[in-house]
Amino acid sequence: MSGPSMERAVVLLDADAHSSDAIQRAAYRLADRCSLQLTREGTNFHCALHYPDAADPQIIREFEIAVNDEVLRERIRDETRDVRNLVLALAFANTTLVQDTDEP
Amino acid sequence: MSLFAGPTRFEPASWEFLPFRFERIDGRVLLTNMVGEHVVLGPSEFDDLVARRLEPQSPTLRRLRGKHIVRASGEQLPLDLLAMKVRTKYRRLPEFTGLHMFVVTLRCEHSCAYCQVSRQNADVGEFDMSEGTALRALELVFQSPSHAIKIEFQGGETLLNFPMIQFIVETAERMNETAGREIQFVIATNLALLDDDVIDFCRLHDIFLSTSLDGPRDLHNRNRPRPGGDSWERAVAGIQRIREELGTHRVSALMTTTEASLGRAADIVDAYVAEGLQSVFLRPLSPYGFAVKTRAHSAYDVDRWLSFYASGLDYIVDLNRRGLPIMEQYAAVILRKMLTNDDPGYVDLMSPAGIGIAAVVYNYDGTVYASDEGRMLAEMGDSTFRIGDLATDSYEDIFLSDALLSPLEASFAGSVPMCTDCAYEPWCGSDPVFHHATQGDSVGHKALSAFHRRNAGVFRLLLDRLESDPFARSTFRKWANP
Repeated sequence: MSGPSMERAVVLLDADAHSSDAIQRAAYRLADRCSLQLTREGTNFHCALHYPDAADPQIIREFEIAVNDEVLRERIRDETRDVRNLVLALAFANTTLVQDTDEP
Repeated sequence: MSLFAGPTRFEPASWEFLPFRFERIDGRVLLTNMVGEHVVLGPSEFDDLVARRLEPQSPTLRRLRGKHIVRASGEQLPLDLLAMKVRTKYRRLPEFTGLHMFVVTLRCEHSCAYCQVSRQNADVGEFDMSEGTALRALELVFQSPSHAIKIEFQGGETLLNFPMIQFIVETAERMNETAGREIQFVIATNLALLDDDVIDFCRLHDIFLSTSLDGPRDLHNRNRPRPGGDSWERAVAGIQRIREELGTHRVSALMTTTEASLGRAADIVDAYVAEGLQSVFLRPLSPYGFAVKTRAHSAYDVDRWLSFYASGLDYIVDLNRRGLPIMEQYAAVILRKMLTNDDPGYVDLMSPAGIGIAAVVYNYDGTVYASDEGRMLAEMGDSTFRIGDLATDSYEDIFLSDALLSPLEASFAGSVPMCTDCAYEPWCGSDPVFHHATQGDSVGHKALSAFHRRNAGVFRLLLDRLESDPFARSTFRKWANP
């Protein structure tokens, strides 16, 4: 018995401009429609997308947009990490939810 | 000379991002800050923001500053304000468990195909809670640090074991003479067995009643069969009696969506209006109990439920437009998260999840569950969310158990794949019991999750109506600030 036939499309992404983490996060978001096989080839990431045949002609374009959005999210996360931690520290500084680190 | 500085005086020379998340929705971009305050931008505005092309005097930048998505470089005040809002959002956490559910019996005289608790026949006494079990559960109730305690009686049909409800209420009130908590009682009942004794007792002890009303007579009686086929007649008569004898605010109703409900959202809302009820909760069916055995829960998918929900919500907004104030409760919960800094503490939309730390269930047999859905799952043979036993375990054993803490920690949305980057996360929650039931994992893969698809669909619907309909916007603001 064979499974449903699958299409395969390849997207090459410059490894200097895209992290593997961003690519994997994008694939995770689209996991209901495609799966990703990610390999490094020289200066590029080789992204092989597998998806049910003819069911989803937009999937490649959506994957590319999703990767770019994840790159942007990564940048915002990095830029605002210190501020985020500071806000959370301010928020919980005087509550009973914080335990002194020297307590057992 | 002007006494006031002009607006340019307050424009920042430069600006920087505060933590925010974004989602693309139908060509526009939703941005939410750390506490869920939001702005919707057009695609070019968003591109200008992330490319840092927005001028200091730009109206878009002012909106973004007002929502704590950007700040003037080095400005401290937005951090203090954000911190205060974060504290407000999580203010319920130190309170710990406020809702304590007592399953006083598993017996029921109804035989609903969608029953999620696997009820038992009405004459089998072994499924009733004993006084010893109830006393032990009450000891745990008063060990909770929460200053406001709600004791909710669940079944089966609770009124089949009304003496136990009386025992628990009277004992809790005695215990509270020294404990000094704000205490409230709610009986969940189908009202078929409502009589003078119940009414008198509820009046004497300020007890609220929550019932099921699935819509008009034909739909309700089809969904909720009982001997005599008169479930709707009894429910409606009970609602009217409680409204007249105890007050309109003392009774509320819930509906469950079956496949037969899907094309009848307006009929269902009309049935609530006809009974004078001021809110309706358009609930989907959950994947537990007889709802699974009878395949009732898989009779419709998320898209069909969303279509039903949208038609119901729009109808309710139109009724408000015509001067009839009625509220949709699920929207009200979410709008409170979207439009205020408060979190209403709705157990299914909390992160950390509400299991155990917002609500706990004491079953008729002394077993303790992290949520009502956890109890429902156990009736199907899966005791994953059983967190203790009143006969053998202490408060600490139960609330520090791995069965509770592990799914709580694993499912915290702030650190769950996809949720951590999702702009809807401050409005959403984590539902470890649902994901365990549907995916065999308390975290769940959100791209494959009906919980995610359903809630994202509701968020998009509410955003659309907020953006496109000024009357809906003003109505939603009232629902968010009751």
